[in-house]
Amino acid sequence: MSIEIPREEYLFSGHTGCPGCGAVLAMRHVLKGLGDKTVVAIPACCWSIIAGAFPYATLNVPLMHCAFETGAATAAGIKAALEIRGDTETTVLAWAGDGGTFDIGLQALSGAAERNDDIIFICYDNEAYMNTGIQRSSATPWKTWTSTTPANTPKETPKKDIVATMMAHHIPYIATGSVAYPADLIAKVRKAKEIRGTKFIHILIPCPPGWRHPSELTIKIARLAVLSRVFPLYEIEDGNHRVTVEPDDTRVSEYLKLQGRFRHLDETDIEVIQANVDREWSRIECLSA
Amino acid sequence: MPLRGKPTTEAEKIVFRHEAELPPMTRSMGTVLINKTGSWRYLRPVYEEKTPPCRDACPAGIDIQGFVDMLARGEPLEAWRLIRESSPLPGVCGRVCPHPCERSCNRGEFDEAISIHALERLAADRALNEGVGEEPRAPKEEERVAIIGSGPAGLSCAHFLGREGYGVTVFEALPRPGGMLRVGIPEYRLPRTVLDKEIADIEALGVSFQTGARIGDIGELADYDAIFVATGAHKSRSLNIPGEDAAGVIPGVEFLKNLNLGGKNQAGERVLVVGGGNTAIDAARSALRLGARTTIVYRRTREEMPAIEEEIEAALAEGVDILYLATPRMALVKDGRVAQVGLIKTELAEPDETGRRRPVEVAGSEFMIEADTVITALGEAPDLSFLPEHAGLSEEPREIDGTPVFGGGDAFTGAGTVVHAIASGRRGARAIISRLAGAGVAHEPPGPVVPFESVNTACFARQPAVRMPEVPVAERVSGFAEVNRGLPLTDGLEEAKRCFSCGVCNLCDNCLIFCPDIAVIRLNDSYEIDYDYCKGCGICAVECPGNVISLVEEER
Repeated sequence: MSIEIPREEYLFSGHTGCPGCGAVLAMRHVLKGLGDKTVVAIPACCWSIIAGAFPYATLNVPLMHCAFETGAATAAGIKAALEIRGDTETTVLAWAGDGGTFDIGLQALSGAAERNDDIIFICYDNEAYMNTGIQRSSATPWKTWTSTTPANTPKETPKKDIVATMMAHHIPYIATGSVAYPADLIAKVRKAKEIRGTKFIHILIPCPPGWRHPSELTIKIARLAVLSRVFPLYEIEDGNHRVTVEPDDTRVSEYLKLQGRFRHLDETDIEVIQANVDREWSRIECLSA
Repeated sequence: MPLRGKPTTEAEKIVFRHEAELPPMTRSMGTVLINKTGSWRYLRPVYEEKTPPCRDACPAGIDIQGFVDMLARGEPLEAWRLIRESSPLPGVCGRVCPHPCERSCNRGEFDEAISIHALERLAADRALNEGVGEEPRAPKEEERVAIIGSGPAGLSCAHFLGREGYGVTVFEALPRPGGMLRVGIPEYRLPRTVLDKEIADIEALGVSFQTGARIGDIGELADYDAIFVATGAHKSRSLNIPGEDAAGVIPGVEFLKNLNLGGKNQAGERVLVVGGGNTAIDAARSALRLGARTTIVYRRTREEMPAIEEEIEAALAEGVDILYLATPRMALVKDGRVAQVGLIKTELAEPDETGRRRPVEVAGSEFMIEADTVITALGEAPDLSFLPEHAGLSEEPREIDGTPVFGGGDAFTGAGTVVHAIASGRRGARAIISRLAGAGVAHEPPGPVVPFESVNTACFARQPAVRMPEVPVAERVSGFAEVNRGLPLTDGLEEAKRCFSCGVCNLCDNCLIFCPDIAVIRLNDSYEIDYDYCKGCGICAVECPGNVISLVEEER
């Protein structure tokens, strides 16, 4: 597979992401897509740490740390300030984890989206509060082990449908992305950069410590999520769906079995997950037709 | 912008000596390059090239992945040059080799093996068509080597000695050089222009050929410093049945030689070929082209047939009949010529020492078949009567009258394929050089072979192999023109891109793209890992398509 990936790097080695961290790779590829005319706002999340402790920085573009609930609002504010200074060129990126998107950051995100503020909001979703010790979030899937939903009483409710939530805001661009498909991710980021208004990209991020998988399997698991349709890759431009990477006949069990957080699942659980994935896929396929 | 996360300024620790030096707000003033995260690592990724299974399976050890990669980059002449490092006969092998490489190709377990033989042929044909050959040169070493036999083993030995500057004379009993390649293999499989070109390339290395020169006694070559004996196996095994001496009963090798060398047609109207190897198929397809109704009789089944699978298919497609599980008992002679053959049915019993199931005759199952020509192809044996102690010679050298004599090719290995003969010739050349130069030729032990399970198949989309177009059956059976048309260049380049590149880095960038620590640095034709920062996550090793990167335990 030859992928045309820009050579420029906007991250420095020496960051404190865990070995095999998918969130670092996602940022690396997103910035390759956006280029150096970018400002990043980061609410509390793993990346608050990865970005470097004072006075050292991981990113080679400006970054502003902000409070947990304010990712979208901070980004919108930076964008407004840039416009006042006459800079219409710089892209402002809000980069939040699932906590800063699905839970704590949802209000600010909803507000910015309703106003159609000209920002890109990217949720790098590792499906729990990993940085503080793997507590469940509303992005944690059904029956998943976390430190607050232990294996004998795993999470009872399904993962929140954040894409549907954002669709309900009628924003111009929504997409899903994967660290296993960098060319696809970069293409989506570039498209988002050219669109005015609120753009939302949802990236699934395997997390070796939180998902309980060996660090070398990050990309493999991310790929299996796409191929098994657990996390299909598609985009929604002005309400029109388009699948960007065709899945194959991989079963969800292939994806689940590599992760310790699903080790307690029995056959019936896996069948239910498969049925849910199939149903959701046929809905996306139908909308993309 | 930096091309990687190396410091734009030196990574220096920032120290604030007193409060006045602190910035008015917390802002970054340096980079995280200060953190040498390599200290976290307990597994170290290393680029460690391994052996692709194709190369491992090739008796001549051709760098198959290497030449396929050159084709993929659109450099067929470079591919041709690389093949010639291990084999002087790419045009020949691209056509007649049974290509064990393709059977071991890892891609075969994914969709279809790479068409390696078609690509080898493509590289050689480009050299032929563009008039690219070996630059003429003269021998530079004093020692002279005699080679008896100009078949693939002799040619290969001459090539590798010639390249090292030794003066080589090749003695050939027949009027033209090439051995079985010229007299055994029919033109529809191997056009003579291809063979002539590859022999000319060997000649350009300062090798001289003496044709029509049968060596009656090895003592005739006492002037040479070393002798390589590669006389092949030309003597057909006999049927041992009544009537075998009648006119119309011809050994297969004889039949092919008379046809290929002198254009002599010995096939009647109704030809029976006995045997299941490549000689049998070559004889049958030749007889068919001479206008005979042709049947092959083989005492085992299709499964046990030693001939190349594609050749069997082609013979059947052209209209050769194959009668399995039968063996001749007698030839019925009428007016001095065979008229009918008495056969008996066989069935397969337990496997014999060759591992193939042993045929046993079924009592009372005799039957007759019309035939005015019987071609026997039961295997060939060498004739080494010109050697004084021929029983003792092998690939291990012997001193005969003070001259070191080396054996090679079919006469000694019994392997029976061109590529084995080429390998044997190369081994012979190496042994001769180390004897004459008085020094061993060092060669590195090959790395472990890459198994299919180690290939990251996620990097590849399923795509069937490209096959060489064939001349339609009706057209090809009317003459001896080549059956397989070569691949068009564009198809060949596409086919080459299907290669997994098992065990050999082809600069695909996956390691670099998927490194979360930006610790993989692209150099001109390789990568380097920055161990100051690599945390040893192992993603590069898993995502490398060809299993080039290994993880080794860190010693600290």
